[in-house]
Amino acid sequence: MIEIKKLHKNFGDLQVLKGVDLTLKPGEVVSILGGSGSGKSTMIRCINGLEGITSGSIFVDGFDVSNKKELLEVRKKCSTVFQQFDLYPHLSVLENITLAPVYVLSSSKKDAEAIALDLLDSVGLADKKDVFPAQLSGGQKQRVGICRALAMRPDYLLLDEVTSSLDPEMTAEVLDILKKLAREGITMISVTHEIEFAREISDRIVFLDQGRILSDLPKDEFFAGDGGLADPRIARFLSKMGEFNGQA
Amino acid sequence: MGYGDEGFTIYDLLLWAEGLGITLWIFILSTVIGLVLGVLIGLVRYYHITILGKLLMIVSESLKNSPVIVQLFLVYFGIPALLQIDMTPNMAAVITLSGNTAAFVAVIVISSIESIDRRQLEAARSFALPKLVILRHIIFPQSLSIAMPMLVSLAINQLQVTSLVSVIGVIDLTRVGDIVNQRTFEPFIVWPLIGLTYFILAKLIAIVGMRLERKFSAYRLVGEL
Repeated sequence: MIEIKKLHKNFGDLQVLKGVDLTLKPGEVVSILGGSGSGKSTMIRCINGLEGITSGSIFVDGFDVSNKKELLEVRKKCSTVFQQFDLYPHLSVLENITLAPVYVLSSSKKDAEAIALDLLDSVGLADKKDVFPAQLSGGQKQRVGICRALAMRPDYLLLDEVTSSLDPEMTAEVLDILKKLAREGITMISVTHEIEFAREISDRIVFLDQGRILSDLPKDEFFAGDGGLADPRIARFLSKMGEFNGQA
Repeated sequence: MGYGDEGFTIYDLLLWAEGLGITLWIFILSTVIGLVLGVLIGLVRYYHITILGKLLMIVSESLKNSPVIVQLFLVYFGIPALLQIDMTPNMAAVITLSGNTAAFVAVIVISSIESIDRRQLEAARSFALPKLVILRHIIFPQSLSIAMPMLVSLAINQLQVTSLVSVIGVIDLTRVGDIVNQRTFEPFIVWPLIGLTYFILAKLIAIVGMRLERKFSAYRLVGEL
């Protein structure tokens, strides 16, 4: 379980998160929506300790993110897929995926490679195992990014705007994989602009606005006309995204 | 064939070989020591180990910004007087050039590390990879690739700088040229040959460097899709 309580995060004088409370149960898929600058990426970066928290607390299965030793346990439980892929450019696709399993989980190289190959196969990239990231398209890079995250056998998958750097075609190929994962029951917290994708995979939708949670509703209630949509700020956001046709 | 003989003898060739050996020995030793020290200094500064980092910065700045010949004199005459120890010219030469190389290597190391994309390091941290693994498997190979051209040109430059050690009495290649020239009075034969020797050594370094560069940069040279 991920428990975020009264989370505040400041960058200097700028308050990005102003008291966020959020709980994620095992097996749940939660999408975080919100405009740019709403703090949604910052929140996900706080969960794996890439940003220190200003006040409040985050616990992942009882491990305290702000405790240096416990943060390591948190990071073993949470794998992140990044907006810009952030693969290691000097390592082959296979090495990108096996690095953390070998050095963090102490897997043997052989086992790690076998798992990596299975994962690559499942995203249709088995033939790319020996190439460098620079030889892949954006969508392929992100699929490798997903494999790298899954190779750690994470309890939680953190998705940080994973399709924002991709064109629509590549977006579709990445989202298909994530939909499959959601169906398989992996726990996911996904920061996204893809409303349709959020609607398809999520159990819950959290709407963040200016560092505060505006609504935290089961998916059906969020998209119902008298639910989340009743809030004009959410309605405005959804219409701005241009992907929502106002079904009630 | 004593003094006063004019013309070249077979012994000049032996003298040349000996000078070449000394030059190579000083160059290789000071390059290896300079590399190790320079990387350590660079890492200390990169990881902001504060007091040590500042101290090392002052040392390396003074080494970069003063003439090597002055540093040679300081080491050769200063250290024995200060510490009451014996120092051979060869020792002084290696110590001086090692320190000088280290100062330049440190700068290259820091600028190379800083040119690595930070986000992949965050990604590595987010997977709980230990600092040393990140350093060894992510930072080191990529900064080596970036640093290689700079290290090669530094090495070629430091090879030429070794010729200065003759002023404190090291019988290196340049000093051999001086000796043979004084005996034969054939400066237009001696100095071009000595110069050619340095040129060939420099070219060898450049060729080896280019191979290494290509090897370490393979990941950056592949075509984008």
